[in-house]
Amino acid sequence: MITLTIDGQTLSVKPGTTALDAALAHDIDIPRLCHHPELKPSGGCRLCLVEVEGRPNPVPSCGLACEQGMVVHTQSEQLTALRRDTLDLFVSDHPLDCVTCDKAGACSLQKYAYEYGLTETTHDFKLSRTLYQDDNPFFIRDHQYCILCGKCTRVCDEVVGAHAIEIVGRGFGSHVGTAFDGPMIDSSCVFCGSCVQVCPTAALLPVSRLKQGREWELGHKHTICGYCGVGCGIDFRTKGNQIVYAQGFPEAVVNGEFLCTKGRFGWDFVQHPDRLTRPLVRKDLAHQLGLIDEDWALGPTQRATLADFVPVSWEAALDLVADKLAAAVQATGPDSVASLSSARCTNEDNYVFQKLMRATIGTNNVDHCARLCHASTVSGLAMAFGGGAMTNSIHEIRDADCLFVTGSNTTESHPVISYEMVRAVKSGANLLLVDPRRIPLAEHATLWLQTKPGTDIYVFLAMAHVILREGWADTDFITRRTEEFEVFAKSVELFTPELAALESGVPADNIVKAARMYALGERAGGVSKYADEPRGHSGIFWAMGITQRRNGTEMVLSLANLAMVTGQLSKPSTGVNPLRGQSNVQGASDMGALPDVLPGYQKVVDEPKRKAMAEKWGLADLPAQPGLTVTEVMAAAHDRRVRAMYVMGENPMLSDPNLEHVEESLRKLDFLAVQEIFLSETAQLAHVILPAASWLEKDGTKTNTERRVQLIHPVLKSPGEAKPDWWVVNELGKRVEARLGKTADGGLWRFTSPAQIADEIASVTPTYRGIVHRRLGEVGLTWPCPSEDHPGTTILHHTTFTRGLGKFHAVGARPPVEQPDAEYPLVLSTGRVIYHYHTGTMSRRSAPLHWRDPRDWVEINAVDAQAAGIEDASPVVIRSRRGEVKTLARISEHVPAGVIFLAFHWAEAPANILTQDHTVDPYAKIPEFKLCTVRVEAVN
Amino acid sequence: MQPADLQTITANEEKSRAKHRCRLWACGSTACLSSGAGEVRTALTAAVKEHKLAGEVQIATSGCQGLCGNGPLVRREVEGEASITYQDVDPTLARQIVAAEARSGPDLAAASELAAGSLAAHILPETHPFFALQHKVALALNGRIDPERIEDYIAHGGYAALAKVLTTMTPEQACDEVKRSGLRGRGGAGFPTGIKWRAVHDQAGERKYVIANGDEGDPGAYMDRTVMEDLAHQVIEGMLIAAYAVGAQQGYLYVRGEYPLAVKRLEKAIRAANRQGLLGKNIFGTDFSFTLDIRIGAGAFVCGEETALMASVEGNRGVPRMRPPYPAQSGLWGCPTLINNVETFANIVPLFDKGAEQFASVGTEKSKGTKIFALAGKLKNTGLIEVPMGITLREIVFAIGGGIPNDKAFKAAQTGGPSGGCIPAEHLDTPMDYESLRALGAIMGSGGLIVLDETSSMPDVARFFMEFCADESCGKCVPCRVGTVQMHGLLDKIVGKQATNADVEKLQRLGELVKRTSLCGLGQSAPNPVLSTLRYFRHEYDALVSERQA
Amino acid sequence: MSTSALTNDPRLKLVDRTIKKFDARGDALLEVLNTAQEAFGYLSPELIRYVGHELHVPLARVYGVATFYHLFTFKPKGEHTCIICLGTACYVKGAGDIVAALERDFEVKSGGTTQDGKLSLTTARCLGSCGLAPMIVVDGTVLARNEPAATVERVRAATTTKAVS
Ligand SMILES: Nc1nc2c(c(=O)[nH]1)N[C@H]1C(S)=C(S)[C@@H](COP(=O)(O)OP(=O)(O)OC[C@H]3O[C@@H](n4cnc5c(=O)[nH]c(N)nc54)[C@H](O)[C@@H]3O)O[C@H]1N2
Ligand SMILES: Nc1nc2c(c(=O)[nH]1)N[C@H]1C(S)=C(S)[C@@H](COP(=O)(O)OP(=O)(O)OC[C@H]3O[C@@H](n4cnc5c(=O)[nH]c(N)nc54)[C@H](O)[C@@H]3O)O[C@H]1N2
Ligand SMILES: Cc1cc2nc3c(=O)[nH]c(=O)nc-3n(C[C@H](O)[C@H](O)[C@H](O)COP(=O)(O)O)c2cc1C
Ligand code: SF4
Ligand code: SF4
Ligand code: SF4
Ligand code: SF4
Ligand code: SF4
Ligand code: FES
Ligand code: FES
Ligand SMILES: [Mo]
Repeated sequence: MITLTIDGQTLSVKPGTTALDAALAHDIDIPRLCHHPELKPSGGCRLCLVEVEGRPNPVPSCGLACEQGMVVHTQSEQLTALRRDTLDLFVSDHPLDCVTCDKAGACSLQKYAYEYGLTETTHDFKLSRTLYQDDNPFFIRDHQYCILCGKCTRVCDEVVGAHAIEIVGRGFGSHVGTAFDGPMIDSSCVFCGSCVQVCPTAALLPVSRLKQGREWELGHKHTICGYCGVGCGIDFRTKGNQIVYAQGFPEAVVNGEFLCTKGRFGWDFVQHPDRLTRPLVRKDLAHQLGLIDEDWALGPTQRATLADFVPVSWEAALDLVADKLAAAVQATGPDSVASLSSARCTNEDNYVFQKLMRATIGTNNVDHCARLCHASTVSGLAMAFGGGAMTNSIHEIRDADCLFVTGSNTTESHPVISYEMVRAVKSGANLLLVDPRRIPLAEHATLWLQTKPGTDIYVFLAMAHVILREGWADTDFITRRTEEFEVFAKSVELFTPELAALESGVPADNIVKAARMYALGERAGGVSKYADEPRGHSGIFWAMGITQRRNGTEMVLSLANLAMVTGQLSKPSTGVNPLRGQSNVQGASDMGALPDVLPGYQKVVDEPKRKAMAEKWGLADLPAQPGLTVTEVMAAAHDRRVRAMYVMGENPMLSDPNLEHVEESLRKLDFLAVQEIFLSETAQLAHVILPAASWLEKDGTKTNTERRVQLIHPVLKSPGEAKPDWWVVNELGKRVEARLGKTADGGLWRFTSPAQIADEIASVTPTYRGIVHRRLGEVGLTWPCPSEDHPGTTILHHTTFTRGLGKFHAVGARPPVEQPDAEYPLVLSTGRVIYHYHTGTMSRRSAPLHWRDPRDWVEINAVDAQAAGIEDASPVVIRSRRGEVKTLARISEHVPAGVIFLAFHWAEAPANILTQDHTVDPYAKIPEFKLCTVRVEAVN
Repeated sequence: MQPADLQTITANEEKSRAKHRCRLWACGSTACLSSGAGEVRTALTAAVKEHKLAGEVQIATSGCQGLCGNGPLVRREVEGEASITYQDVDPTLARQIVAAEARSGPDLAAASELAAGSLAAHILPETHPFFALQHKVALALNGRIDPERIEDYIAHGGYAALAKVLTTMTPEQACDEVKRSGLRGRGGAGFPTGIKWRAVHDQAGERKYVIANGDEGDPGAYMDRTVMEDLAHQVIEGMLIAAYAVGAQQGYLYVRGEYPLAVKRLEKAIRAANRQGLLGKNIFGTDFSFTLDIRIGAGAFVCGEETALMASVEGNRGVPRMRPPYPAQSGLWGCPTLINNVETFANIVPLFDKGAEQFASVGTEKSKGTKIFALAGKLKNTGLIEVPMGITLREIVFAIGGGIPNDKAFKAAQTGGPSGGCIPAEHLDTPMDYESLRALGAIMGSGGLIVLDETSSMPDVARFFMEFCADESCGKCVPCRVGTVQMHGLLDKIVGKQATNADVEKLQRLGELVKRTSLCGLGQSAPNPVLSTLRYFRHEYDALVSERQA
Repeated sequence: MSTSALTNDPRLKLVDRTIKKFDARGDALLEVLNTAQEAFGYLSPELIRYVGHELHVPLARVYGVATFYHLFTFKPKGEHTCIICLGTACYVKGAGDIVAALERDFEVKSGGTTQDGKLSLTTARCLGSCGLAPMIVVDGTVLARNEPAATVERVRAATTTKAVS
């Protein structure tokens, strides 16, 4: 530690701290316009000048490293004069029309002008820049107000990694611009708005904010983003029941001030006129019930519209659903009722949902989209470690020496995590990428292995082979912490880099390089945070490219093997890190919205645990037979083993594989209830629709990908009669319970608030035991948290694995289910794009997101396009053994020859018409969304 | 190559040199080329052929011979005789020069007599005051060797200093030798070179770099151009010694983009040094290896500033950054980096050849050795000079420069270009050293020295420099980006006789602000020409104010 | 991306050679832009795009770098060029008057090209021959000790001859 004096205060700081940071940490304020704690210092604004005893001239404190014994003064007559004169120069190049300016009240320049008593410039020459209008619905760029602090360009480069903007020109002629000073839409901008966030003036403002009132009139409402699993904290600025704009905030523990485009700009769906506002009963059922006279029937290929439903009261709707569910239980048994819970919903919603199915209906037929997502991660890590989630936290990523990313398009799917990765790379970490597509991370990768689709397993096995051959294994870790090493070692003997090269198309020496980089945690430059350790720290990150495979579990095991053999586990900035997808998919799984486990992954087949849970609920026992998975439930409905279904917040009519089969199955149901915020494709087949409150309208907790349980808060009032999901489930619980005459001793359905539910969760879930509602402040708690005085766990499996020793598994290289042939020569890769989310119910109703990416398209390489006579932006038809889809071609070098990419966001071009559902991963039952074969033809 | 190979090359060179009785060195530097040296050389060669003198008279191309204002120059060199320099040579005169050699036949005495006689009008004796007061250390070989032939450089003792350092000195001793010499950086600020070397040497780290700063952005200065064009090998040798001393394996020569000839010559020299094994792996059979690359600037004055230069070498916008960390701690790609001016490197070779003591025997107490100046402006003799530190301005202007032409009076000398200041007549006896110049509000700078006569308007000169600085500002920090524009506006107003006294006061105050608060040397020194003219020539400003039109 | 018009241009070979010489490393951006400008005379958007793509440098950075340095131009040059040194030595010896005379006579601002595309007028910051000030360069030929009237003549003569390649 270094001791210095600032304004008479004696402070102790870590070496390398700047005087500005030291001062700010001790509540000594120094004026500054170009400094941002997360960005490299610039030194351009010259406002943060301080006096240092013994130095002739004032120095900028943002670039002044603290030295032992240094004496600093931040206020003096001289400094005041210099700062005032400096501000005078800024103002000579600024309109200073604060009276009408939307930034007023949140503007740093205004603040300092006020503090230093400047009303206008004293300079002769009123300088000005041309007004530049960028025609985009996300943010405006008005160069008149720009003070060239460079924060926007730095954040775009250093954090976002998009490098869409740069200081262009030089001297007084310099300005912030895109390449060729074109509009943002033509640049590499991803509309994350990070630049808007850090801009100290009105040069960059959200469009939604313009002329919406003075800054001080707006409310602050904090909540957690409802899109992806990163779980970013957002500060919504509101006026009445309206969101004016959204921003990050420094105290947001996961993301700080940074957000992605969806979190910052994609919230306007919430007040879209399409929102469901009243419970609805489909006309045929309404007629049956005597609610309407009209005799109506859903045609065999018809999808219902809102006009085909009749609004009813909540009472009527709840009674109706309860009647139907109870009737099915009574007629065909509890297992003829199935359900889908929701990773969009809170822990409390999911907890009561699975409780309804298990305790009240009496079936384990509850699953959710985790099945289509990280089911193979869960099964693989359970086999290797005894349980699994991200082992390490998001914040550790920036300090890693080597990042090994595979099957994760982090930039588009987990943007704020990609910001961490970009930061690591910019400070010298290696980024090893294994991915068949040229995803945005490829631009930052130090080594990119472009494997042919489905062949990456060879690379992983060969990396293990090389690590053992070259002696890069961590023998100490292997002996202390693992078992069955020999079996594994023997299993990789065959997998030489040469073999892997042959199969994957990646040069053998790059595989060797990759093995070394990962095993030893090599850096590309800069100084490691872990420099005093024998090997650098490497972390593995993966998502759907690994899991959505017919051998997903083995894929995960092969990565777990790599981590164990190199000891890249149980330390900061290392680990195996599956990036969870939905905002609460981790929580929905933790809550037991899965057919084989109770809350906290207690197996339903584990009698003592099951009985213990039953006892807590005041029951004798719970169903012991694992229920149906998402992928099994459709087949069961198809052959009528399942008669009634209750779907909360899932849209299988677009998200499940082989959609024609899904539709047939759902149509065969006697009863389908869908709890939704919009009339989704699934709701279009429902008998009853229950209108739910969205994430912007409810209370509760969610668990993000790093296992952090965080509070969410309502920002707006729900439209119409929409109700929180937990409330609906609780009401149904009461009613079903009564109808089945199954009332338990204490009554299972007496919840009046999510906080109550949260505390019940804590009491029945070992890993959540310490996560009681009142402990959850702004930063939340990370599970496992076994007791109320436990601080939460940042690094999983820290000293021992959940199962004791980590277990190596010998795995082979299983090929994809479908191989290209003459009829279907191309591999279809499905997935996501940054601007849209899943089945698009929300993102495609967001005006800015829709503007940026308005319609469906398929990416195809120029070589394949030419062969098929396809031109850029021309219509094509894609055919697979299941069906066909029409869309527009986008010729691009992001996919290699032989591969096309189609996102599954587009209802008008549903990717899942094409995917197959007959062969799934044997352990996890996950379908192979990432690989099926197709043929593409031009449409004339 | 081994050290002994240097002698073999030298012996071969001497043998072939002895084949000719007389050598005529046609100046091939940029300045002389622009006044017709190309045609002169063609005429010389043709004449030699005509007179069938190929066996006796050799035509060679030299680097800058100094008195560019009187070019094209041709120097006659005959073993055992004082050399003669012909000035203002044109093709006709060139043929006459050769003809004189032909007529004399083998009679050497007659030849020189003849030459002295009929060509007398064009002879510039080496005793000419322009040459007499100079002291050539860095430029000792300039104009005397063929800049494009490594053998010629070796034959004149080239690469011997490197051999000596590599085989007899430790890196620490090498740093120490430089420190003892008192050499200070010639790039402008005069930082002690030995201390800088030692700082880089002392840094931990496997990768280190050496950079030669050949950006020379001062408009009106061309010392570094000459050094790079004519003494490429001397710069390379200096860099090699430095690299050995600090422990660097890679070097960059950053050359101003407007100097194509320098780039060409340096490239050629690097190729030759590589071929001879003087660059590359295991130089002189030692463990020392060094590779050297050229980076070409693209027209940005600020890229002469060391941190901006490094940004530019990395392929970025040439924007300076805050220091510390200094390049010695964290330079190119975050590695310790030594950066010196090319003239500084050119001084290294004579320093090690002759030893630190001899180097330090020239100059003043605190400013050792010599300095190269580019003399320009209102002077009779303009060109490149190398003089001992401490020489007075008066000697430079009146003795070497020959005084002011057209019977005009001396008004001021501007040193240090846009970062420098003006020295008025009352300080003509100031010794030229770092401290004395700074005390006057001027600076040594890189060596541009422009003389202004009574017809020059000082506010106009100040405006000229301010326009330059505003145009060259990188735009990063507000005092320089906006301040220079405001100052230029005020100067415009003053020169245009629109200004009031308050404007002059504002100019002064703004100048102090920009000087004190700018991020890098450009902004910190941009007000110097204004502040120094305000200091010595305030009356000129006042006159313009009082002439203000209604 | 790389328009076929550009990829078929033989001048691109020179650019490719420089890119190859530096192993397509991003830090060679300035050298590659230099070569590109030499080969094509100016940096067109297609050319800038090409360089960014080949070196894997973000386009905004390429553009930011290119617009930072004086030497890069984004418009085709005139058939003939005249560069007037505006360095200190030349300025004090009257280079400003030469610029003014040329601007007046050819009706073009320095930095610009005449309407008919015949002449581009640019200024430089010291050509490194201050001893012979004022200096100008007409179509690549360096000329010493200039004065306004003669320079105008000289340039007029140059622009009425055929273009230099
Ligand atoms: N914008 C946006 N963000 C989202 C979502 C969204 O819909 N939109 N959804 C969220 C959800 S639920 C999830 S699960 C995550 C998913 O996040 P990701 O898994 O990152 O998303 P995908 O688009 O499915 O991308 C999978 C990656 O695997 C690669 N891949 C394809 N085939 C192979 C292969 O054979 N081997 C390897 N190694 N890689 C391959 C693809 O090229 C791609 O980079 O995103 C979450 N975030
Ligand atoms: N081809 C292909 N298919 C895939 C994938 C792929 O990569 N390729 N990825 C798979 C993956 S990883 C996943 S996670 C699944 C996702 O599959 P789904 O979960 O089915 O897709 P979502 O669109 O997220 O569906 C969530 C629904 O919940 C609604 N909703 C939103 N908020 C709330 C709320 O608060 N309450 C209620 N009640 N409803 C709400 C939304 O309107 C939406 O209709 O898709 C899978 N399908
Ligand atoms: C605006 C500016 C321009 C500079 N230009 C040059 C230059 O052209 N050549 C040079 O050697 N140093 C120049 N310098 C000084 C360098 O930053 C650096 O101090 C010098 O190269 C160090 O070498 P030296 O120690 O050998 O002098 C400049 C400095 C500033 C602030
Ligand atoms: S940007 Fe700030 S200083 Fe400028 S007008 Fe708006 S509020 Fe005032
Ligand atoms: S919105 Fe994001 S990507 Fe676009 S310019 Fe701003 S920081 Fe860069
Ligand atoms: S736009 Fe804003 S953040 Fe960017 S340089 Fe201008 S003032 Fe700074
Ligand atoms: S990264 Fe995910 S959680 Fe964060 S703002 Fe974007 S969508 Fe929301
Ligand atoms: S002083 Fe001028 S050149 Fe230096 S950093 Fe500031 S703006 Fe750039
Ligand atoms: S905050 Fe330090 S210079 Fe701007
Ligand atoms: S000032 Fe014009 S050549 Fe140097
Ligand atoms: Mo997912």
